[in-house]
Amino acid sequence: MRGGREETLTQGRSFDVKWLFIIGIVVFLVLFEVFPMVYMFIKSFFPAKGFSLASYRKTYGYELNQISLRNTLVSAFGTMVLGTLIAFPLAWLVGRTNLYYRKFFRGLCVMTYMVPPYVGAMAWSRLLNPNVGIINVFLRNVFHLSSKTGPFDIYTIGGMIWVLTSFYYPYAFITISRAMEKMDPSLEEASRISGASPWKTLWTITLPMMTPSIIAGALLVFVSAASAYGIPSIIGANAKVKIPTVTTRIIDYVGLGVDGLSDAMSLAVFLMLLANFVLYISTFVVGKRKYITVSGKSTRPNTVDLGRWRVFFTVLMFLFAFIMIVLPFVTVGLTSITKNLGKSVWEKGNFTTMHWSRIFSRKDVFLSVKNSLLYAVITATFGIIVSVVMANLLERTTIKGRRIPDFLITVGSGTPSVVIALGLIMTMRGQFGINLYNTMWIMIIAYLVKYLMMGMRTVVSAMSQIHVSLEECSRISGAGWLKTTWRITIPLIAPSIAAGWFLIFIPTFYELSMSTLLYSKDTQVIGYKLHYYWTYTSQQQASAIAFGILVFIVILNSVLNKLTKGEFSI
Amino acid sequence: MKKVCSIVAMLGLGVSLLFAGGASETAATATGIVPDKTVTGNIMIYTSIYEDIVTMMDNALAEKFPNCNIEFFQGGTGKIQTKVAGEMATGKLGCDMMLVAEPAYSLELNEDGYLHKYLSPNRANLRFDYDKEGAWYPVRVCNMVLAYNPEMYKPSDLATSYKDFATNPALKGYISMGNPLTSGTTMAAAAALSEKYGYVYFDQLGKQQIMIESGSTALAKLETGECKELMILEESVLKKREEEGSSISVIYPDDGVILIPSTVMTVAGDKSANNNIASCEKVTDWLLSEEGQKFIVKGWMHSVLKGWNSGDHIPYDSISTDDLIKKDMGLDWVRCYQQRTEIREAFEKSVSLSK
Repeated sequence: MRGGREETLTQGRSFDVKWLFIIGIVVFLVLFEVFPMVYMFIKSFFPAKGFSLASYRKTYGYELNQISLRNTLVSAFGTMVLGTLIAFPLAWLVGRTNLYYRKFFRGLCVMTYMVPPYVGAMAWSRLLNPNVGIINVFLRNVFHLSSKTGPFDIYTIGGMIWVLTSFYYPYAFITISRAMEKMDPSLEEASRISGASPWKTLWTITLPMMTPSIIAGALLVFVSAASAYGIPSIIGANAKVKIPTVTTRIIDYVGLGVDGLSDAMSLAVFLMLLANFVLYISTFVVGKRKYITVSGKSTRPNTVDLGRWRVFFTVLMFLFAFIMIVLPFVTVGLTSITKNLGKSVWEKGNFTTMHWSRIFSRKDVFLSVKNSLLYAVITATFGIIVSVVMANLLERTTIKGRRIPDFLITVGSGTPSVVIALGLIMTMRGQFGINLYNTMWIMIIAYLVKYLMMGMRTVVSAMSQIHVSLEECSRISGAGWLKTTWRITIPLIAPSIAAGWFLIFIPTFYELSMSTLLYSKDTQVIGYKLHYYWTYTSQQQASAIAFGILVFIVILNSVLNKLTKGEFSI
Repeated sequence: MKKVCSIVAMLGLGVSLLFAGGASETAATATGIVPDKTVTGNIMIYTSIYEDIVTMMDNALAEKFPNCNIEFFQGGTGKIQTKVAGEMATGKLGCDMMLVAEPAYSLELNEDGYLHKYLSPNRANLRFDYDKEGAWYPVRVCNMVLAYNPEMYKPSDLATSYKDFATNPALKGYISMGNPLTSGTTMAAAAALSEKYGYVYFDQLGKQQIMIESGSTALAKLETGECKELMILEESVLKKREEEGSSISVIYPDDGVILIPSTVMTVAGDKSANNNIASCEKVTDWLLSEEGQKFIVKGWMHSVLKGWNSGDHIPYDSISTDDLIKKDMGLDWVRCYQQRTEIREAFEKSVSLSK
């Protein structure tokens, strides 16, 4: 069928314009993604002049690095398990049941995707530090505990997993939600007609059908957690027994000059191989098991009636939202208006707007916001154009080679941020004819390599649900491929394009891991600035910046929702 | 006659206005800076000075040298060293001058031939060592001290020496310091303490379950009571006291403070970004002058000038610089540079691997 369609669409053309796009995207990805990674991989075996494994022996033989490898695997695995255990029921509750305030909860579930993860680390370290954490003190008072510390300690591997989970479970939630929305409801309906209860249908039909998406979402969480920097850098350094991870070690090494760079490269190879292995499993092993029956046209799965459990689950959702979202964000907000953090904000004379007026009077904050907006808009816009083209190629053609850019985009998204940044630093200094070092373009390219897939998957998913007949009408009426895409396809999938744009825009806007390695005098961005303020200036001022980012993203989200008449959702 | 008088008066007024106008070109600005319009071109400065102090310096330099475009790149000493190491591979640095924390780095760059040698006329006023050929000069004095929160603890319950800081069991799990891998001043402190007490000092810090974090985070922890005592730069505490009215206080340790006379360096012309040596020399002179040093003191750091010991000549709420010099633990900068990797690794092993 596809082949036939393709023949119809491209008949009579000597040169297919699609090739230009494929070649363009492939050249871009080979140059800025494959080449830096391959170069870095090869270079790690040639630390000096000849071939040597000395760098590997040194790096991997060092006990601290071995511990960081173990911590990375344990924290990423723990986050994956906990994140998936949270994401699936949430996706089911807000996507498939008659839970009260479903739409509101859906928005809340992806809220932590919209703010920098290290903001969570800041908030949770205030709430759950063992000595004077707000929740710990509250629990000690309520239960008259004699201990001067605890009962919780955020500065542990368990604490790190908790914070990582609260910020990375949305990756699994978004993946699982999308698959649920695309699910063909006929099997579930058959189960219900045969007398199975909603719960039995959930366990015996929905869950098995969703398995590939659950695994794909889980692996996405694993890779994201393994390559996280902000959270481990804040939580790990404060632990009684320090919790270094591969990313924090890499950034430490990069700070040590030339010698450090070669050690950083050797260590980065571990993350690169780990991410690519996970990606391979996700794409080629799990991806091939098509349990989900996608009908190709838009489906609207039936809603499960929760019956007498409806109120219970709604209350549970409120509780979840309070702990996971409201509590940390309110903590950040209150921190930004507190003069002395040792006293309550409500204590006389302790409320202040000083930190807000400071950040609003700082040129460097404005410059970094401007840079972040500019880079995020460029990245998201360019990324969404590539996404639409790629979706068109993947869903509407059988043109040979169309899977190559798809594969490269997937590899890029799975590659840890620090690896991408290191690769670009090593290769884009002009020694190979391209000098992007210290420019905004090196940052935009890094963001594109990392986040392009977030947009592409959204648009591909939307296009798979649009029937091809309208586009065929356009082509039969004489419109070319580009015109059809512009006049027919894009308007049909506009809400998903907006969502895809937003999905690229958000992480780019507050990105830290790559920016901290790539920024220069004129290219400081808000993610780096926020981390800098937290680290070197003032926690209250950093909290004001973080809360400002949160408010901005929430407003942007609402505007997009309004513009797309509620159809926009991530 | 009246007419003649009024013409004379008008002329007199005109002449005096003319002179007043001419004088305004060289007169001091509102901040007391006398502009120097002879300095031109572009200068890029890499610095590890805290950003808000850089902003203040930037404004002062713009007033002093209105015809020179001076720009700053701010980053931790580690970040700057990495940036410079990368740029060395291209044969040219991206900066013309550097103001970094660790004096040992100046020794290293000078040995590698990256520094321009210039004998500043202001060198005679300096109370700290400088390179005799003029490759680097101390420009500000950072001071590593201990700090605590008097609203929660009394100094008598805390460590009053670095030795006690690493051994007092009451402080276990409640102390914090910076990271020598990323901070030049903490690296200097680690070098000084290991020189005085041996690497066993790091083992003791590890056993104390010391938290490794930046000054801002640590100060917030002192405020909340999450930490009882910190090893921190005096300037961070003084800044918080003056700007936020904080009561967090400094303890000048009994076994010595650690003074770090951070340097200013000019990159050799052929290896610099703008090859604007004449202007860099003028900027160096100004930084070492009384006018320039006022901004160092305003930025809560101690001056390098002889005799600056009280009032506006010392940072807000601090003590006499000469008294600090007497208490200085002292450290071997050559060892700090030559054994940098060894010191860092010893620290990492003891603190990060401690269970």
